[in-house]
Amino acid sequence: MRLLLIEDDPLLGEGLRDFLRSEAHVVDWFTALAPLAGLQGEPYDAWLLDWNLPDGSGLAWLAGQRARGDSTPAIVLTARDRLGDRIDGLDSGADDYLVKPFAPEELAARVRVLARRLAGSAAGLRQVGDVTVDLVARSASVAGVRAELTAREWSLLEALVLRAGRIVAKADLDALATGFDGEASSNALEVHVSNLRRKLGRDLIETVRGLGYRVPK
Amino acid sequence: MMAAPAPPPLPTIRARLARALLILALLWSVAAAAAVWLVVRHKVDDLLDHALRESAEILYGMLSLPAAATVLEQQPGSALPAPPHQESLVWQVVSARQRVLLHSHGAPATPWVDRPQPGLSDVGGAGPHWRLYGLALPGPEQRMLYVAQPDWERHEARLEATVLSALAALLVGLTGAVWVRRRIKRELRPLAELSRAVAHYDPLDRSTSLPEAQRAELRPMQQAITALGDRVAQRMASERAFSAHAAHALRTPLAGIDAQLAMALRECPEALQPRLVRVRGAAQRLQQVVVALLALFRSGAEPQRRRLKLDALVQRLPVAGLAVHCTGQPEVHADPDLLAAALANLLDNAARHGATEVVIQAETGDGLQRLQVHDNGPGLAPELHPALVQELDSGRYQRPLGLGLMLADLVARAHGGRVRLPAPPALPAGAPRTGGCTVVLTLAAPAADEADEAADPA
Repeated sequence: MRLLLIEDDPLLGEGLRDFLRSEAHVVDWFTALAPLAGLQGEPYDAWLLDWNLPDGSGLAWLAGQRARGDSTPAIVLTARDRLGDRIDGLDSGADDYLVKPFAPEELAARVRVLARRLAGSAAGLRQVGDVTVDLVARSASVAGVRAELTAREWSLLEALVLRAGRIVAKADLDALATGFDGEASSNALEVHVSNLRRKLGRDLIETVRGLGYRVPK
Repeated sequence: MMAAPAPPPLPTIRARLARALLILALLWSVAAAAAVWLVVRHKVDDLLDHALRESAEILYGMLSLPAAATVLEQQPGSALPAPPHQESLVWQVVSARQRVLLHSHGAPATPWVDRPQPGLSDVGGAGPHWRLYGLALPGPEQRMLYVAQPDWERHEARLEATVLSALAALLVGLTGAVWVRRRIKRELRPLAELSRAVAHYDPLDRSTSLPEAQRAELRPMQQAITALGDRVAQRMASERAFSAHAAHALRTPLAGIDAQLAMALRECPEALQPRLVRVRGAAQRLQQVVVALLALFRSGAEPQRRRLKLDALVQRLPVAGLAVHCTGQPEVHADPDLLAAALANLLDNAARHGATEVVIQAETGDGLQRLQVHDNGPGLAPELHPALVQELDSGRYQRPLGLGLMLADLVARAHGGRVRLPAPPALPAGAPRTGGCTVVLTLAAPAADEADEAADPA
């Protein structure tokens, strides 16, 4: 999943970024709200944001995003543990609320919960033809035979499966799968898609000419 | 919260004053009756003596008439006819030779005195007693007129005056007592109102602020309580602010340390892993202590109780080298952060003192949840036990008590319970200690409506 992490504490921000990357997520980490102004329209699977940031309230930013109609799932990470704070956090549009200190494993588990919810399946399994994608185990199999995917291929597949039935523009797919560390080569995406088709069958990923790619629902 | 024994009922100021007033009214009526007895008795005697004299003088006039002389001479010793009645004043006319010449029908037929006795005197022996007034009649016969009144009648008059006065005094006293009682009730009302307002006073809730004092005596108290409340409210506000700052300043780095350690564990060579696991365990214990202390020292915060699966909670505790078993009832109703911190510290204590195994037994009874934490270490040194119990009971938490037991007791008290340390068995001098250490954590059992909540997964 491509995650936007907003946390001003460098020790925690770096630790979470690296931990979530080690869980094969694509993580973009920012320490303030100001740089987010340039990210409008940038596709993310989830936002992980601190409440108190040096240049404002993460919760107010979230409420603003919700007012604009952006429903990207959000987990608020905060030191505020009062019941009233939790209620305010959830009422401002957060999908989940995690009180510091927390173990990074718990945050990763909650991100998996979001993935299952996005996939529309409690078990996190999506079936497309004879291909089964397990969003929790982060694996794919064809007719019961597990396919060996690289991290990048998995990220592409996950981004498409989480948006099954919708066309994902090439630029968005590239961003979802690689974040801001996207590959310089313009045809890298086509190469990865081609590899996925080879491993999982040609029918899984459709090319919508001039628009992008789509996994059928 | 644990049910405190009901305090003994106290007497009210009103009831005590009312009782004092009633006693005062009764004493007043007795004193008034005694005073009347002393003062009125002489006056009544004077009045009755005066009546005797006046009656004698009227009879003297009548007996001096010529017609009376005939009666006295012709029928000596006879009684004057009269309608049937109770005679209060009786009289005799006695000759010089002490013979009764004429008497009223209630008077005796023999003379009251054996020789002429003018003026007032008291007579009587074995028979009835009389008050007598003698008056010499005019003429050479030297006759005496005696008018008398029975003593019992004079006594009755005095008694009647006294009793009526006492009843009047009692009536005045009781009426006064009732009036003063009502007055006291009215005068105590401002005190009662202030007392009620103080009982519901919450320095943090503006709507409960104390009303203005209605009496001069109450104003210093009202002002002192309000000033105290203001200081408490200010202190709590600054504590809350500090708690919020401290929470942010402590929680975020702790989360950062854990995230970095988790990542380091994934990246480090295998040989380094046990060391990092130990560091992470210590960091997580530190997290629990800090979180519990922040919650415990946050003014006005109640524990956020939930139903918890005890074994799941214990499994999450970072305790290395200790096998922990949970027995008894599987669930407890407590604040997960606080209970985790209390148990983590008790388990840490056990591990530090050489235990390898701990059994946590949970049970509920008498409105309390009891968590008995028993380890297989050497147990408490018997000589330490009294000092530990004293520090726990007093809530001072001075040495030899450590942070583990202090935190456990603070957590238990926040849940309406206590930490108890059963006394270790006495051992012969020099014998090695065995048998382990037992710490009992009691928490108030949930109210019926709380007990129905869904269980927390951990």
